Amino acid sequence: MEKLTPRQITSLHDHLLRLGLAPALVDELLDHLACELEQRLQEGLSPETALNQTLSEADGGAVRHLQETYRRELTLSDAELEQASLDDIVFQFRNKAYGAYDLRRSYPQALRESILLGVSLFVSFLFLIQTPGPATRLTLLSLLIWTVFTQTHLGRSSVRALRNAWPLP
Amino acid sequence: MELAGTDFLRGTLKTIVLNLLADRRRMYGYEITQAVKEKTKGDLVLTFGALYPVLHKLEQEGLVLTESEEVDGRLRKYYSLTPTGSETAIQKFAEFEHFITVMRTLLQPPPQPSIG
Repeated sequence: MEKLTPRQITSLHDHLLRLGLAPALVDELLDHLACELEQRLQEGLSPETALNQTLSEADGGAVRHLQETYRRELTLSDAELEQASLDDIVFQFRNKAYGAYDLRRSYPQALRESILLGVSLFVSFLFLIQTPGPATRLTLLSLLIWTVFTQTHLGRSSVRALRNAWPLP
Repeated sequence: MELAGTDFLRGTLKTIVLNLLADRRRMYGYEITQAVKEKTKGDLVLTFGALYPVLHKLEQEGLVLTESEEVDGRLRKYYSLTPTGSETAIQKFAEFEHFITVMRTLLQPPPQPSIG
């Protein structure tokens, strides 16, 4: 099958941008129109006619219809809004799979754990330099290790990984 | 009969897309419109305006996963079902069949009472 030239792809892309298509849809619709254009070229239409037909099919009206349907379908319903967090609302029309959504959602937990860990490290350090005797130090150290491995996500997941890698009877 | 703009289609679009993905594992948008066109011999034509909102909605609901790949100088977005998506595909298909049966019994003319 004949491939489209970069120029043909660019003119489709420009057309979509001119119509003000939402960024979330541009790449996908570009591929869609490019496929249609290829199909028309394969059917034997001249490059110019094929391009014009493809562009006229994706005119302002069709694209507006797409955007309206998109808004309607993807807007959270009232019931969903009641349950939604601020992150859900912020990411309503954004790519959640990219990673920022997960990072933001796990942020409160990460913050809690780092404060817990920071404070316990600091306090242990103070005690360690103040208290003599190996027994107290050992107790403090084991308390610290216990905190890390049971109270933080990082610790729990490493314990789980260790268990999987080295199954105990 | 032109089915593209009817109300029936709007309610069944998710069922169509989910079940196509269950058959073919991984598809991109244009491929879905072509598959629908071929299977129905042109009776059903999905416009991009109807298809992409549904695909993105399914993604938002966690029923499909997407992967983007570069093909011939442009990005192509492939869709595939998540485990929940597979279950939903089966469930929606069953619901639709049930709906058809109910509609048929509802709309069929009642049998003529026979004198006997």
